[in-house]
Amino acid sequence: MSGRPPIAPEAVDTAVSLGGIALRNPVLTASGTFGYGTEFAPFLDLRRLGGIVSKSLTFAPRTGNLPARIAETASGMLNAIGLENVGVEVFAAEKLPALDPEVVVVASVFGTEMEHYAKVCERLDGERRVAGFEINASCPHVKAGGIEFGQKADVLADLVRTVRRATRKPVLIKLSPNVTSIAEMARVCEAEGADGISLINTLQALDVDVETRRPLLRNVLGGLSGPAIRPVALRMVYQASRAVKIPLCGIGGIESAEDAVKFLLCGATAVQVGTANYRNPAVAGEIADGIRAYAARHGFARVADLVGALDAPR
Amino acid sequence: MSAVATEHTAAPLRTRGIVRANLPQGGYWRLALHVPDWTRFQPGQFVMLSPGAEHAVPRTDPLLPRPMAVYQAAAAESGGCDVEVLYKVTGRGTALLATARERDAVAVVGPLGRGFPLPPPGVRALLVGGGTGIASLYELAARASVTGDVRVLLGARTAQDLAIARDFAALPLRLRLATEDGSRGREGLVTALLADELASREPAVVYACGPTPMMRRAAELAAAAGQGCLVSLENPMACGFGVCLGCAAPLRSEGERAFGLVCRDGPVFEAARVDWENLA
Repeated sequence: MSGRPPIAPEAVDTAVSLGGIALRNPVLTASGTFGYGTEFAPFLDLRRLGGIVSKSLTFAPRTGNLPARIAETASGMLNAIGLENVGVEVFAAEKLPALDPEVVVVASVFGTEMEHYAKVCERLDGERRVAGFEINASCPHVKAGGIEFGQKADVLADLVRTVRRATRKPVLIKLSPNVTSIAEMARVCEAEGADGISLINTLQALDVDVETRRPLLRNVLGGLSGPAIRPVALRMVYQASRAVKIPLCGIGGIESAEDAVKFLLCGATAVQVGTANYRNPAVAGEIADGIRAYAARHGFARVADLVGALDAPR
Repeated sequence: MSAVATEHTAAPLRTRGIVRANLPQGGYWRLALHVPDWTRFQPGQFVMLSPGAEHAVPRTDPLLPRPMAVYQAAAAESGGCDVEVLYKVTGRGTALLATARERDAVAVVGPLGRGFPLPPPGVRALLVGGGTGIASLYELAARASVTGDVRVLLGARTAQDLAIARDFAALPLRLRLATEDGSRGREGLVTALLADELASREPAVVYACGPTPMMRRAAELAAAAGQGCLVSLENPMACGFGVCLGCAAPLRSEGERAFGLVCRDGPVFEAARVDWENLA
């Protein structure tokens, strides 16, 4: 794969299309790690990003879990926030208008029942500022609702069908990694008309304080994120990319442009930066710039040409 | 050193603090940083500090920055701000911070949160600090004592943990100490000193920062005496600016559960609003 002469960074076309959502570059910020965007205004011009994914929205506002809600683990963190959010009405009335019109906004949607997902999508279907939806099929730490929607193929199929009917905007399904076959779940999404797939959400996990003999989180179980999960996420993106033709958005422990490029090479059309935003609130912009620099250095005139360009043995 | 403007700053910065000194003192470490670009700081605000100095190879373990109270902050002659942080080596993050050397760079996000308002004119300020919580009170003591009546009550396990009381003793205020082992000041808990001070019934505001049982007791004593009380809470957090929602502190509420974010709504809260039963 060597031998491409470098080109000027300005000459690189960074635009990608994620299931009908036009992005100026492939870097989005992951739901739940970026608030509603405005919180990052002191640190980062959001117009440098491909887009942002909102905190997962429910129809009614939700308060979250009792503390402790987060804990640090080896190269990662656990969280069990409980999907606290302002609800779809406050999002539409206050959060969306506060963002610069040039910022691409994907609304993350969550519900404890099928119909709740549909209601949120229907409510935002007419909002011009919402470029598309990301359906959170995978939050592992909410007791209400029992199993994750994304853990059983028939339930997931039902969910994709339900939200597909509720909106004409692009629909991305964010998959749970807590499954036996990610390829099977990806095929379900494609078959039911999803425009794209985001993966992965956090891995269900647990850690313990040996001195107190208590779990680190009040909720006992939490979702693991951060660099610790990156190779798992890359594996799942790779497997999903071989199973479906719809575009993928890769998520999981991305800390640098090089990490993001790995996801593109494994078949992701775009990526999301999550936990790294806590370490450096400007990092998503740096990653967007870094991908351009990488493409230039390696002679790729279009960032889209990096997608699936993994030089793997056959 | 001239004072730094005290208005609340709406926009925190991400910047590199340059280590001027990082030395043990008593039971604490004292980290002095020069932070360029800082112009405003409110007593009781905090920073997110990377767990250790930045090195050529980025480190992902430990992963997250640590919230640290700003102990002292003053405008630097060269511009920016000289900021001091007190910490105890309690885990991997603070152990790495203790290895930072002069001229190393430490990633700093701040100043963050809502700090302590100064007491109204004519109202005594009763500052109650325990353990590392003492660090949050110095700037308030320094600024409030310029014009008002300030009493500072500090408690710790042993005399060694009260080495920084010297800094408070240099201010124009009344300082009283307590240690659990009686090695310095009164033997027992610092809240016993607060009970003495509140007996006078003169209008006062209690400012408390320290272990949760200490703050809760201070809040009860202030309420019983009919005086206001502000507490500075501490909680694990990943971001420091209202996004991770990890630092939610339960607040009293009639109906549905209510939370305040320690990073954004606090760290300073009215003690009467805190749901002490459910505070982690």
